[in-house]
Amino acid sequence: MKNFFRKVAFGLKPDEKEPSDPLVWAQKQVETIPEFSWNGKHIYSEKEMRKYWIKKRIGEDRKLRKKFKDDPQGFRAAKQQLYKDVGMRYWPANEICIRHSEALRGTNPVLAKLWYFWTNHFTISDTQDLAHFSNGAYQRDFIRANMDKNFETMATEATIAWPMIMHLDNKDNVGPKSESGREEWRRREKRPATINENHARELMELHTISPKAGYSQEDVIELAKIMTGWRPKWSQTQDNGSNVRFDRKRHEPGKKYVLGKKYKSGKKGLLIAIKDLVNHPSCREFIATKLCRYLITDNPTPEMIAPVIKAWEQSDGFLPEVHKAAIKVAFEYNDKYRKFQNPENWWLTTINMSGSTYSYPTKEKIMDAYPLGFQPSGTIRNQGWFLEDLGCHPYKQKQPNGYSDFEKDWMSTELIIRRVMYAKTAFFKYNTTDQLDENLHEKIIRNNFDNPDKILKIVSRAKSPEEKHIILFNLPEVLKA
Amino acid sequence: MKISRRDFLKGTATSLFLAGFNFPVLASTSKKKNLIVIMLRGGMDGLCAVPVIGDQDFEKRRKGILIENPIKLDTDFALHPKLKGFKECWFDNTGAIVHATSIPYTARSHFEGQNLMESGGKVPYKDKTGWLGRAMKIANLKGDGLALSLPMPLLLRGVPKNDNFYPTDGKLPREETLELLRSVYADSSEEELLDMMNFIKKRKSEQMMGGGQSYDQRNNKNLAMKAGQILSDPNGPRVAVFEVNGFDTHAAQGGIDGTHTKCLVEMDTIIQNLKISRRAYANSIILTVTEFGRTIKKNGGNGTEHGYGTAVFLAGGLVKKSQVHADWPGLKRKELYQGRDLNATIDARSVYASAMSTVFDLDFNRIEKEVFFGDKLQNLSDKLFKSV
Repeated sequence: MKNFFRKVAFGLKPDEKEPSDPLVWAQKQVETIPEFSWNGKHIYSEKEMRKYWIKKRIGEDRKLRKKFKDDPQGFRAAKQQLYKDVGMRYWPANEICIRHSEALRGTNPVLAKLWYFWTNHFTISDTQDLAHFSNGAYQRDFIRANMDKNFETMATEATIAWPMIMHLDNKDNVGPKSESGREEWRRREKRPATINENHARELMELHTISPKAGYSQEDVIELAKIMTGWRPKWSQTQDNGSNVRFDRKRHEPGKKYVLGKKYKSGKKGLLIAIKDLVNHPSCREFIATKLCRYLITDNPTPEMIAPVIKAWEQSDGFLPEVHKAAIKVAFEYNDKYRKFQNPENWWLTTINMSGSTYSYPTKEKIMDAYPLGFQPSGTIRNQGWFLEDLGCHPYKQKQPNGYSDFEKDWMSTELIIRRVMYAKTAFFKYNTTDQLDENLHEKIIRNNFDNPDKILKIVSRAKSPEEKHIILFNLPEVLKA
Repeated sequence: MKISRRDFLKGTATSLFLAGFNFPVLASTSKKKNLIVIMLRGGMDGLCAVPVIGDQDFEKRRKGILIENPIKLDTDFALHPKLKGFKECWFDNTGAIVHATSIPYTARSHFEGQNLMESGGKVPYKDKTGWLGRAMKIANLKGDGLALSLPMPLLLRGVPKNDNFYPTDGKLPREETLELLRSVYADSSEEELLDMMNFIKKRKSEQMMGGGQSYDQRNNKNLAMKAGQILSDPNGPRVAVFEVNGFDTHAAQGGIDGTHTKCLVEMDTIIQNLKISRRAYANSIILTVTEFGRTIKKNGGNGTEHGYGTAVFLAGGLVKKSQVHADWPGLKRKELYQGRDLNATIDARSVYASAMSTVFDLDFNRIEKEVFFGDKLQNLSDKLFKSV
């Protein structure tokens, strides 16, 4: 049974009281969204974060390029200073602190684990510097903030979120027959208005109905036409950093047909289209399958998915209900299936089971004391870079489909070497008293396993506390939950 | 930390995998032949890399994203001017191109397309192994292979015990600790974990980045040189796989300094650095794969959309001669695929199968049947590769 705490959350702390009813404990956590447990000063909205993105973009592309036109060395130095001034290496570290505090210190670790699922579902991959300024805030404002609402709300808000519109190029999706498309400057500057299919395709393929729904290339183009005009207002001082809104001048006029349904021209088209997509049977099946895959097994059975789909249908895609159903299925299959955890969830389980005196994440006072304009110090920089080394930095997905939820994709010698290495790293995040505490591993093991004696016996064969850590957190019982 | 974030990113943009150790051979009696695959993710624009100067519709249709001053290869085709490494291959008769080719996939999704470019099948996500892995299996190239990157690509799966290499910081724990883990995996029948722990136990300290070794080990230049060295070992692996990301340029594809060019140059650097190990290069085929080409016309953001037909780069001593092999479909509207993309007249899997037939000494028909599910493919071995 204790595996369940690792399956839907990150295990129990050595001194944490075991919940008497694990299922109720888990389900209650997804009903409401608590305040962030991170006590640092810098929790800014996605919009506030954009000013740093704008400063970097305009500073580099407009000012520095001009100023150092004939001086590549000067340009490089000025660029490096600009990166420090806008906190390019600081903000992702700060965001990871906020993100990981939810798993380690918050009251709702189950909600955190599902939050990570959704941030990966609505991935913004590592392009256009968004990872440095926007992805963390986007994941807070548009994903987590909507986890107590219907899927439709989350899908709509994620779709028209500024970073998503930038990421999937909808800013360049302009109706050829729109007012803007007919403007004289386009001919003069040879910049014809054209459809950009990127976002429309991913909205269907990755975010809602999946290719299983059987849409055609024509459907993609038609949905792209519906999406024309949703973009940030362009201005010299914002360079596309202003709010996303519907620009009628760039919207393709006329009716559009997606999956056989007619959509009128105008602002409402996209909102209705998203409503139709999220209510398509393929959408709930796709998401139910993905949730079960994330929590239970690579290949969920129809019996696993069915209760999640049912909860979706009965609640109109109300996410707390969908989550509760998925948690219940995970609970029922707890003994039968073990899922190899992705590196981030494994790391957080390792830290969480180890206890609370850890210096992880980097402390608030260190994060808050960092002044923009300087090179971030080791602890701040390490906050993010090791996740990259582990293979799953949460803001640096390489492609819009995010990280894989399949076990196979996390199995390789190098990835296992990382687990060994970072279990060791984890040990040295203890304070000295804990490092010397000989009973520490027994406490962890007794509180986290149904068969503590067997585990203890294995771990006791290691010579030092550091080695015990390496062994314990690389046991199949911890790697798979 | 010695490296800036920017360099680190550059380092992770390319990944390298090596696999398929030979059964020990005597270097003097039989030559070890290698296959190196470079996966170009995101949809490589074959018309940007290899412009078709001989087609009178080309310039007109590519307006706005034409690459200036391409290197003329023959009367019909030219080469992107930044591909200096490949240019050398071409002029020393070890570089070739197959044009107007693609895997048989036309639905334009990256993720389905990449899945198929690696699995070699026709139904996305159906096959759990890759075409290279399956061919290695029937060629009896199994086990103790070394790969050089973080995850194991689908392309190589299907043969047991692939290893990988992509060094991380620090030092491995004591042998006894690893042995303890190994025995736990053995006792709990965790076969995959066991295989990997066997590899880790053999890992040498110089293959980690602890103790003053530099992060440069991980940039693509060094990974390619390292691959060249490893492939030179007569008892070393015979297969290497690289990955280059970022070809999906819906916006600002750019000209000579654009994003697409940057990705192509990364591919070119790999070829250039593999070539440094001359003996390995002389007995190798380097081959590129991508999920699809891009639309012939630019969109309003100076980018291109997902398309169909594209080009395959071939290099190495086992390439028969410098040539552009194509059955040119033309670029008039009605000749384009769905009126928008370069058509594919050659199934790219025919090139893959021919390369594997050459390198692994396997009967082409057997590859067709056992690796590509009996799909009818064209045997291009004699046209494209040397028979050794």
